[in-house]
Amino acid sequence: MDGWMDGWMDGWMDLLYIIYLIFICFFSTEPNVGRKQKLTEIHQALISDPVDIETLKRAAATRGGLLTDEVRRKVWPKLLNINVYNLPHRPGRDVRDNHRDHNQVVLDVRRSMKRFPKGMPASERAVLQEQLVDVILEVLKRNPQLHYYQGYHDVAVSLLLVVGERMAIAMLDTLSNYHLRDFMDPTMDSTKHILNYLMPILEQVDAELYDFMMRAEVGTIFALSWLITWFGHVLSEFKHTLRLYDFFLSSHPLMPIYLAATIVLHREKEVKQTECDMAMVHHLLSRIPQDLPYELLISQARDLFARYPPSLLARRAALQSHKSLSISTFQAFQLSTLHQRPDSVLQRLTKAHGAATSGHGLGAALSRDRGQLWGKGNRMVKMAVWGLSATLGAAMLAVAQTAMEWGPDVLLQLF
Amino acid sequence: MADSGSSGEFSASLTSSTLPPPRTRIFKIIVIGDSGVGKTCLTYRFCAGKFPEKTEATIGVDFRERLVEIDGEKIKIQLWDTAGQERFRKSMVQHYYRNVHAVVFVYDITNAASFRNLPAWIEECRQHALGNEVPRILVGNKCDLQDSVQVGTEVAQQFADTHSMPLFETSAKNSNILKDGSSRGSSDHVEAIFMTVAHKLRSQKPLVLSQPSDRAGGTVNLSSCGDSRGEGARSWGCSSC
Ligand SMILES: Nc1nc2c(ncn2[C@@H]2O[C@H](COP(=O)(O)OP(=O)(O)O)[C@@H](O)[C@H]2O)c(=O)[nH]1
Ligand SMILES: [Mg+2]
Repeated sequence: MDGWMDGWMDGWMDLLYIIYLIFICFFSTEPNVGRKQKLTEIHQALISDPVDIETLKRAAATRGGLLTDEVRRKVWPKLLNINVYNLPHRPGRDVRDNHRDHNQVVLDVRRSMKRFPKGMPASERAVLQEQLVDVILEVLKRNPQLHYYQGYHDVAVSLLLVVGERMAIAMLDTLSNYHLRDFMDPTMDSTKHILNYLMPILEQVDAELYDFMMRAEVGTIFALSWLITWFGHVLSEFKHTLRLYDFFLSSHPLMPIYLAATIVLHREKEVKQTECDMAMVHHLLSRIPQDLPYELLISQARDLFARYPPSLLARRAALQSHKSLSISTFQAFQLSTLHQRPDSVLQRLTKAHGAATSGHGLGAALSRDRGQLWGKGNRMVKMAVWGLSATLGAAMLAVAQTAMEWGPDVLLQLF
Repeated sequence: MADSGSSGEFSASLTSSTLPPPRTRIFKIIVIGDSGVGKTCLTYRFCAGKFPEKTEATIGVDFRERLVEIDGEKIKIQLWDTAGQERFRKSMVQHYYRNVHAVVFVYDITNAASFRNLPAWIEECRQHALGNEVPRILVGNKCDLQDSVQVGTEVAQQFADTHSMPLFETSAKNSNILKDGSSRGSSDHVEAIFMTVAHKLRSQKPLVLSQPSDRAGGTVNLSSCGDSRGEGARSWGCSSC
């Protein structure tokens, strides 16, 4: 009975998905042949068993990244080896009880207004800010060895706004133990070590610029917030942040440094024309122009990474003395992402597991959560619809609204 | 009292800068204190002339500057606004202590912990080998929040005296209101504070020591300035507060 239902549902979902693709073809505001093809590829990669992680990583890094928040909600968890049917529970009230970083987190989240969409009503933002505090403290509580840093909240908010509270906790937990691990030591020595990769890259590419910056003694702190927030702290357009997050989630933990290098190289003329003085150069570089050619810079960063991999830089600049946990655990992390089952299988497995253990197992909990997530008037729905409308235009919006009337799960299953 | 006793040493560090000798002198002032006390707001207020609508956590070091004119001389005031979170300080902020001409310590008058932590900030300065000749001032911020004062003026003044610093209580938000609720008319108190530091620095130059330093030029008008002690137990350079 259940199997029959599933098969029937799957067919129905596929049909819906085709309708969705047709709408994209006809009504997309930026007609782009590659886009349609990319969406198809991503879909194929997601339903492959095991999930085709290499294709997903390529999609996230190449032009346009993952394109929409809908796709991000599907692909981001795969990039981090997260089972979306086994997410952490929503933190209870006790998550805030006497955590050593509680005050700092609250302080930083309270003044992070800029990170939320401009049109968002203050009341809605306040709810999300509370969730943001919970997400951060929950992850810190699960990992007592990790230390909060100012800027961690910029990463957390970028995740929260796209994937919602529970998945944000799961993603932030993984990121904190791998990509961001070096920044979460009791001291910033490891972070400084990572920043030390920046100048050797510049030296390889543009010796003159390198000399200039060395003479100015500018240091690398201008890139600190870029690195530890994945640029979330310095970009005012959220879509640019998301594009970079697609890229970094699919890349080596040192990739933000390579992107930082391409940005400095991109501004080479400006830099050299500045007075050769720490203050002036720091001032110039720490202010990121908002109209950077992100796609170009991303592809340049990938090239630089291929040409001057971290191991080569470390050898040339004698950087290896300090041990980086992010770098040393990266390979194991990558391996762990290779054997993921597609969501349809995960869902069945989780359901079966849930039914076997108790009447209202994880599956039930999840659908309850989803019901809430997609409930009428819920902000997540609104955000999803914003994402959709931005990319697909009004036509798709109409479909989305209809789909929502059919049932919340329909939207989640579109891919 | 942080007087200008060893100004010779200090001015040497001023002039030995590697910059091409610019027409405008640069005064480099570092602003430190606990997270959330209002360092970013104060520096923004001075450089942009208004309270910022939205500030964000400072990550690492931010830099702001403003050109002022004192007695006909154009001076560039560079403010280095630093991250308050302790873990940034050891390995990150170091670099920015170099060639600092003055230090502004900030606490929040509505947050006793930020006041209690001041000795740690003074110690940080000491570790960065800032000599006694480098002028320091103490700023108690958020005076507009009259209902939640946790640090009284007396205790703050006592602390400031012990460390030979002048104390200023002010508000980055409502810079015309003083702690006792009285208004200062149209003058901007935050601006006056930073200008006082600039005057002090300028007065330390042997060249200008002979000139009267109590005449404010250009953009700001300080009623009393220079090395004269203000009312009460205040140290040097307190303007009409
Ligand atoms: N009421 C009031 N709030 C202030 C004042 N100065 C700063 N704030 C607020 O205090 C918080 C922290 O300020 P910020 O400048 O970011 O502190 P920083 O961490 O020391 O740089 C922000 O929410 C500011 O709006 C002030 O003079 N009065
Ligand atoms: Mg600040």
